[in-house]
Amino acid sequence: MEQYVLPNSGHSSNPEASKLGMWLFLFTELLLFGGLFLVYMVYRALNPEAFLIASYELNITMGTINTVVLLTSSLTIAMSISALQKGKKGLALYLMLATIAFSLIFMVIKFFEWNAKIHHGLFPGMEHYQSLPHGESLFFFLYFFMTGLHALHVIIGAIFIGIVVVKVGTDEVTGDQGTLLENSGLYWHLVDIIWIYLFPLFYLIH
Amino acid sequence: MSTATDSGYVNFFQAKKGLASWIFTLDHKRIGLLYFYSVLAFFLVGVLLGFLMRLELIAPGETIMKATQYNQVFTLHGVIMIFLFIIPVIPAIFGNFFLPIMIGTDDVAFPKLNLLSWWLYILGALFALSTLVVGEGPADTGWTFYAPYSVKTGTNVTLAVLAAFILGFSSILTGLNFIVTIHRLRFPGMKWFDMPLFMWGLYATSWIQLLATPVIGITLLMIIAERTFGIGLFDPAIGGDPILYQHLFWIYSHPAVYIMVLPAMGIVSEIIPTFTNRTIFGYKAIAISSLAIAFVGYFVWGHHMFTSGMSGPARIIFSLLTFLVAIPSAIKVFNWVATLYKGSIEIKPPLLYAMAFIFQFSIGGLTGLVNGALAANVHVHDTYFVVGHFHYVMFGGTGFAFFGAMHYWFPKIWGKMYNIKRANIAFAILFAGFNLLYFPMLIVGIMGMPRRYYDYLPEFTTMNVISTVGSWVLIIGLIMMLWNLINGYRKGKIAGNNPWGGVTLEWQTKSPPPLPNFLKKPELPEDGPYTFK
Amino acid sequence: MKAEEIQHITSFREHFGTWLALIILTVMTVTISVFGADLLSLTVVTALAIATTKAIVVGYYFMHLKYESRIYLLMVGVVMLLFIVFLVLTIFDYVFR
Repeated sequence: MEQYVLPNSGHSSNPEASKLGMWLFLFTELLLFGGLFLVYMVYRALNPEAFLIASYELNITMGTINTVVLLTSSLTIAMSISALQKGKKGLALYLMLATIAFSLIFMVIKFFEWNAKIHHGLFPGMEHYQSLPHGESLFFFLYFFMTGLHALHVIIGAIFIGIVVVKVGTDEVTGDQGTLLENSGLYWHLVDIIWIYLFPLFYLIH
Repeated sequence: MSTATDSGYVNFFQAKKGLASWIFTLDHKRIGLLYFYSVLAFFLVGVLLGFLMRLELIAPGETIMKATQYNQVFTLHGVIMIFLFIIPVIPAIFGNFFLPIMIGTDDVAFPKLNLLSWWLYILGALFALSTLVVGEGPADTGWTFYAPYSVKTGTNVTLAVLAAFILGFSSILTGLNFIVTIHRLRFPGMKWFDMPLFMWGLYATSWIQLLATPVIGITLLMIIAERTFGIGLFDPAIGGDPILYQHLFWIYSHPAVYIMVLPAMGIVSEIIPTFTNRTIFGYKAIAISSLAIAFVGYFVWGHHMFTSGMSGPARIIFSLLTFLVAIPSAIKVFNWVATLYKGSIEIKPPLLYAMAFIFQFSIGGLTGLVNGALAANVHVHDTYFVVGHFHYVMFGGTGFAFFGAMHYWFPKIWGKMYNIKRANIAFAILFAGFNLLYFPMLIVGIMGMPRRYYDYLPEFTTMNVISTVGSWVLIIGLIMMLWNLINGYRKGKIAGNNPWGGVTLEWQTKSPPPLPNFLKKPELPEDGPYTFK
Repeated sequence: MKAEEIQHITSFREHFGTWLALIILTVMTVTISVFGADLLSLTVVTALAIATTKAIVVGYYFMHLKYESRIYLLMVGVVMLLFIVFLVLTIFDYVFR
């Protein structure tokens, strides 16, 4: 019997399928943070004053710098996709490495911010944290939980892009076969979007 | 055990041998069967726990276990039956096995993710079972993990919650895979409304898995954080709001009910046309009502919280929205019945299960309206009426659809036929046992017996005894059914490629299917998926 | 694959323009927050409105929604709608409690 081959196989690479899969994954990420935004909304509605007071502990300058850093990293990863599609492999690699560098800058700034808060005893479970009014301690819990989860995503995103850098280097990912790079870009933009909301909700309550 | 060896081709059982070829397989059919064996094993554990609970309730007072043990048993029964059985049962077993075949492709879009999903399922199951042996024993909170008790109890809540979290991931991966497969891998020429209705059920389900599960994931993490740091998120003693937990929990868990029932409705929509030999009545209405149920199902979670202290206007809104779900559900039921009307009906085991589904799901659905009506709910809330309602929908509905699917696709999966007569007898016993077990719960619930207690007032004794006896009948039916299927697998006659005269694509290929699913080009019916000649 | 699925290469100019718009919006939201305290309760609304504008810009240009098939826009729309309804129904409980 001659072998019949299906025209649509699940085992062959399918860029459209991977892209759709990535988008669906992003939706789950959105809803994951969504649960936390919901908790934030409820407790901010219940404790408007306490959230305002607690937010003065955060440093707007640092937050703004980090926002600009992350937006710029989104620019570089988006440009790297165009660069690779235009066949400029070297430029694409530089732009991807720049994205990873920006993510490191973001994490360093984040580290100093967290460090300052922990120094003031504001991490959940610490002595000063326990003595805070309930609304304020909720603010700091949500701050650490949400920015922490976001930072985790930044790290994962940077590693993802790092893997793509290697694959572009070995020509496994090219302009025509660029889905992996595009997907890492999509993921990175989502991380950016989450931060776009975290920034005003925590830093800009004033 | 050798399976049917039809000369001239290699089926997917024969394609490779050895344990590794199963547990590391990328073939959707084998992954479906891996799920089949593991889900069935946990189902039997859950049945055993349910049996023990019924035994405890055969008489008032302490019968075979103490209050705390009873709490742990019903929690474990709930966790196993919900997270390990009824959520994965139809999508992960029959969805995996038949989705690619029924849309005419050779696998799901991401076979590796599919395998990962099974492994996560096993990992989550190990976490759930480990609560039995570690520390203070299994959680005693009920499967809902309601705060503040779940924050305070010394039992293994953290482990149980982690198990649910991991199982959630498994469920998300399955859903993601199915959506992409349906979007991208349909056979050329198969349009959306050319898909069998089981596909529509799975498609709607997958979206719920994808969009609701992350919410429970993050909620469970918050429970762990609350237990670790004492934040005051949900525990009112330290300023938290327990109702917020309930909101977050039911934002997932109500849609999850539709994860459980929509694929079952898809199965019924497959079985009925095949055994009435006519096209399904109202194809588009059934297809779209699946999506409608999924969509509206997101907005009704508050009806679990009518007596928990939610605000009045919110309760009214949720009650109103709840009634909306009845519309698409009723559309389906009417369409199934209309398909039966004047069809040339062949009474075979799968059809019996499908009809039992319609009957029991209708009871479950109508009692659901009683629960959904705000005023009536205050009366029946937290009584056995709710337990009865839930089991009528989940076991009488989804469970029976699962049995129906087993009987419907058994000859396709294993290439052999079970004994039809014995299957009919087993069905009759199962059906009688089921109704004997759960109908008294509805009555005793209206009488006012509260749920989740190991004890009850003497006036409820008669009904509880009937119910417990019903559980024995049910188990006898279950054993007979499984024994008959196992016998069919061992010594059954060769079934042939299309024993029921079905017209969807899976009946065009061999039984059991070959590894690439189709050895020759599948023919799409011209006038939709249910064109009978 | 169909002809319309041939990839679209976004120009560096467009990327740069998108980035500039995002930076301007960031400057706006910080300025309003720090110096426009008299907007009172409106600050939350303006901050969220600007954040949403930024998110849409990122999605539409950086994430290529502009060039994708309509199905992606539909999906994003439905997901956002679901999430907003979650928030609205939940806050409905708290507002009237």
